[in-house]
Amino acid sequence: MSAPVSPARWRWLPALALGAACTALAAPPGNDPLEWLQRAAQAARSASYSGTYAHSNGDRASVIRITHVAVGNDEQERIEPLDGPPHEIVRHNDDMFCYFPDAKTVRLDRRVSARFFPAIFSAPASTVAASYVPSLGKTENVIGYDCQWIQLQPKDALRYPQSICSEVNTGLIIRSKTFNAQRQVIEQYTFTELRIGQAVPKSDVKSTFEARVKRWFTDTRPRDESKGVQTGWAVNDPPAGFQKVTELHRTMPGRPAPVSQIVFSDGVASISVFVEANSAPPRTAEASSEDGTTTFFVHPMGDTLVSVLGEVPLATAQQVARSVARRP
Amino acid sequence: MTQDISSLMDGELEAHEAGRVVQACCASEDQKRTWYVYHVIGDAIRGQALRRAEMPERILAALREQPTVLAPRRRVVEASITRIALAAAASVVTVGVVGWLGLQGGQLRTAPPAIAKAAGPVTNVAANVPAPGVPAAGTMEVSSNQPVLNVQDYLTVHRQMPSPEFYRQVSNQAPATAR
Repeated sequence: MSAPVSPARWRWLPALALGAACTALAAPPGNDPLEWLQRAAQAARSASYSGTYAHSNGDRASVIRITHVAVGNDEQERIEPLDGPPHEIVRHNDDMFCYFPDAKTVRLDRRVSARFFPAIFSAPASTVAASYVPSLGKTENVIGYDCQWIQLQPKDALRYPQSICSEVNTGLIIRSKTFNAQRQVIEQYTFTELRIGQAVPKSDVKSTFEARVKRWFTDTRPRDESKGVQTGWAVNDPPAGFQKVTELHRTMPGRPAPVSQIVFSDGVASISVFVEANSAPPRTAEASSEDGTTTFFVHPMGDTLVSVLGEVPLATAQQVARSVARRP
Repeated sequence: MTQDISSLMDGELEAHEAGRVVQACCASEDQKRTWYVYHVIGDAIRGQALRRAEMPERILAALREQPTVLAPRRRVVEASITRIALAAAASVVTVGVVGWLGLQGGQLRTAPPAIAKAAGPVTNVAANVPAPGVPAAGTMEVSSNQPVLNVQDYLTVHRQMPSPEFYRQVSNQAPATAR
């Protein structure tokens, strides 16, 4: 239960805790963009809030209800997508319980590559600042809150620029935008309704579906798989700033054997590398697709098929895929 | 009357005559058909694709008999590495059909209908019937010998968020361990 998902994620935790102690609910920082960034990253964890946000990424859009309660360093969260059949994720720190009431199934998993707004950073501000230059933009009133825009300009073309709007009193991110190289918005999160602070009761982060079903089926395989293994594969030339988060085997539909997955992150964007058998009839040519920030690139290597999916430009995904090799 | 329609199409009528012929032309089913057939002949002579508007009843009736196919149309993009929008897969998933990407000769294409996998209430869609307007021969050829790859599967693993449809299927087939 408490085993670290990965050495990399574990290494960041003390820094996160320190950040919490230093910045939680502190007065607004001055003009230091790094302090603003740190406060925004921390507020998503250490503040309590409840609201609804809209997410658009390329051609896809969704509306999600989120309730987040922080008790000390413990986070409890309930995420409910409001479209489609009912389902929800109840998260306790990195432990995820996904309830699918129609199928009477609860799926257990640990957060590896998942990212839930407004917790869009998976590393402390100092790590983010290694790959992005933060700067302060204008202040604006968004859904009744004064907020400060923080721009994240990447230091290279390996990742997308971002802007986040941080609520002045708590630091909580109320809106975020990701841009392509032409400065067009390709992904956006925005709260449409939000309450911050004491008014969020702890009962609101409990599952709303659990009591509705008498006997739940439990799928523990995702959680077992999330513990990680040595996949035997390595990315020899990871893009600058991207650290390996973990490697694991994942069961995927229609495959006789689990697929190897290696996860990388630069603190903002993440990349999943999938390695599996290039089953008959084998794929012979590279292929790609892009929608919003989601890039998918397929790179056949003889008997092996490498696929890369991440919130990165195509060239980054290509660099990763083409440097995959068996670990010596 | 047929001569009038012919003259009208050839632009040989004066304005007031044209008005009269247009009125008369649309007054009877026979003359509507003549109007349509003349256009088809004209299109064929000019080597253009056949018209789709105002098809004769027999064809329309036949089309009405065709089941609706929930699959994206084939799209070919000319580039060294072709791209296809993930959105196609995403929107197909929304209606419960898994979208597939196929690859052949360096070209990534959206799903040929023959390999669409149905879920939930749309199970057993007669998926091998080509959608109207899609050249059937080309589509089937694509489906017959290319590997398929479903972006949505990878996206689901990356986001760690399976769609509820996935578990509905799984639980119907093989229930997981009881708690």
